[in-house]
Amino acid sequence: MTTTTPPVARRDARRADPPRPRAKRSPFVRALPYLVPAGLLYGYFLVYPMIDAVRLSFYDWSGFRTEPQVWVGLRNYVRAFTADPVFWTAFKNSLIWVVLSLAIPMMLSLLLALGLNRKLLGRNLFRSVFYLPAVFASITVAAMWRWIYNPTLGAVNQGLKAIGLESWTHQWLGDPKIALYSVFVAAIWQSVGFNMVLFLAGLQQVPVELVEAARIDGAHGLQIFRNVTLPALRPTFVVVVILTIINSLKVFDLVVGMTGGGPAQSTQVLALWSWTQSFQNHTFGQGSAVATVLLIISLALVVPYLAWALRGEDH
Amino acid sequence: MRYTRSAAVAISATAALALVTGCGSGGTSDAGSSGSGSSGEKVDLTLWLPTQEDSQKAGLETLVSDFEAANPDITVKYEERSVDDHKTALRQVAGTDAGPDIYWYWEGPGLGGELVNAGMSLDLTKYYDQYGWSDRFSDAALAGITQYGQHDGIPWTLQGEAIYYNKTLFAKAGITGTPTSYDELVADADKLVAAGITPIQFGGTVNWHVMRLLDSLIETECGSTVADALNTTQKGWDSEPCVTDAFTALKTWGEKYINQGFMGISNDDSSQLFYTGQAAMALEGTWFDANLTDNGVNPDDIGIFAFPTGTGRLYGFGEAYYVNATSKHPDEAAKFLDFITSTAEQEKVVGAWAAMSPNVDVAPATGNPLHELWPPIFKAATGLYINNDQNLSLDQTTEYWRIQNSVLTGDIAPADAGAEFQKFIDANS
Repeated sequence: MTTTTPPVARRDARRADPPRPRAKRSPFVRALPYLVPAGLLYGYFLVYPMIDAVRLSFYDWSGFRTEPQVWVGLRNYVRAFTADPVFWTAFKNSLIWVVLSLAIPMMLSLLLALGLNRKLLGRNLFRSVFYLPAVFASITVAAMWRWIYNPTLGAVNQGLKAIGLESWTHQWLGDPKIALYSVFVAAIWQSVGFNMVLFLAGLQQVPVELVEAARIDGAHGLQIFRNVTLPALRPTFVVVVILTIINSLKVFDLVVGMTGGGPAQSTQVLALWSWTQSFQNHTFGQGSAVATVLLIISLALVVPYLAWALRGEDH
Repeated sequence: MRYTRSAAVAISATAALALVTGCGSGGTSDAGSSGSGSSGEKVDLTLWLPTQEDSQKAGLETLVSDFEAANPDITVKYEERSVDDHKTALRQVAGTDAGPDIYWYWEGPGLGGELVNAGMSLDLTKYYDQYGWSDRFSDAALAGITQYGQHDGIPWTLQGEAIYYNKTLFAKAGITGTPTSYDELVADADKLVAAGITPIQFGGTVNWHVMRLLDSLIETECGSTVADALNTTQKGWDSEPCVTDAFTALKTWGEKYINQGFMGISNDDSSQLFYTGQAAMALEGTWFDANLTDNGVNPDDIGIFAFPTGTGRLYGFGEAYYVNATSKHPDEAAKFLDFITSTAEQEKVVGAWAAMSPNVDVAPATGNPLHELWPPIFKAATGLYINNDQNLSLDQTTEYWRIQNSVLTGDIAPADAGAEFQKFIDANS
């Protein structure tokens, strides 16, 4: 037997409630008290320094509070583009780093994620092992790889000698022709695990029923991957690509720790060159000009891709 | 105040290195003053300096605790940072109230001179008169203090740099004496190569290590007058043939005499080759005495000789304690500096920072047998040529290192190196 509250009683109950004031304020206004503290912090610690760096790029300043900032217009940019012997090397290296990062570690991460998404013995152990380098501080990774590449005592050259390939031994960090790529290998080792985890998370979102349906329809593995898995991974790809581009342009500590930008500035990148100009050479105007160029490149690469990807999402 | 780097270097370079001969004359009024802060109130003095190693840390603790015991109203708080962080921190606080009362720094124009130029150093002339410091320190030590036209700081160390060599490896290569000319040095290096021994070790990832060789080759090939003019950019690097000779010699050393793969390792890594007897020579400074014994090297196996540049000058630089121009306690700061350089205190800590005390009345340290090798080297020197990262401006130093390394890697021909550097100097002048 069911019991129901008589309608009259319900009406009485409603009448008994205290009258609610009508919400006139918009959700945004109501959220403001919560947003303001974070907004102020964000503005002071992120937006203001960014704007100030752009402003400083039009001044000549040694960084000493006792010395004035002198307006020089575009001179820092002209100097960077025409008279700075390192700028274009750093520019080229930064672009090479972005392209390689998009090509190699991302591909490896995807392959590892696909492999470790299958049921196999020790799967979680392998996932942990591959992810482990991502938790190390970059400067630690740099110290490890510096030893690995040590020309006399390092594991690489020792290993090559042990298997009779002594002629392949090399100054991995001392030869300007290959030093950048030697550092990049360490970057691959460090970054593959993190992207692998992102792809693994993305793979969990691939609808099993769609895969099953494709299989029943006779699609083979590659077709299922291309037509079912890849489209489902699109949001993950957007995240991974954007993070990879940003992290590649920001690369700094690994280079500092392994080569310091050398030999002969051959592994210099824009972020490190901006820092060197500002904090080592004490030419803050030139350092800020390089930082501004880096900011423009970052926006030029990330914003169009993000817009394209989000448009695809909407469709 | 402003200064010219050429004048600064000329003063340093022409100063006789008379620390051990005591040409600054003895008999100082340095009983180590005691008492309270001059205002009678409790005073906290702050001191910034680079991270101190074991014996240095113990020495500093001794000086501070003795001073505080003698001056109960003054407390000294010191802050240590890594070398680069120390430089950055001081540059950031120059001209503000956030700096320390006293700071330790290198004296050279590119470092100490930079802060003097930024108005950070208090002129201590009145304290030199008050405490009689001019008699306490040698003329050589004071040359670095007065090079900018006033009394900037008090001398703390005068570090010499020379070639440490392994006697056993020299004997194995058939070398019977130390080289007295550059040609003899090269001949000895050839003998070491012939005996299958790496002649000299350097670590290229820290640019200033190999720079010591280039600086010495410029001094060798150009002579002291031209080298000083070049290093202060008073002469064009593109107009002196000796510049090409120096870079050519550098390339030769890189190809024939320096440890294999030196461009990819640091000075710490390359020093291991010397500690373990795998390299016969190291171009290091007085601080290396302690490094060698700390790393288990038998000091009896090691000898030291000045880089035979032919000019008679010794490679090296000075380090000093400065009083911040914005310090609210300059009298107490001066009192502290007077105390720590007094004969009584220096006798307790001599050898911790350098083999020789800045105080002319204090005998050189005897704790490490290698310390005893330095006095004759200083005595024989006719002057000082300074590391170029202390001569050149910061951006010039960065470029100087790039060109040095590019010559070593073959990316710049020695004949083009001088012109390349001059192009940078002109573009940024």
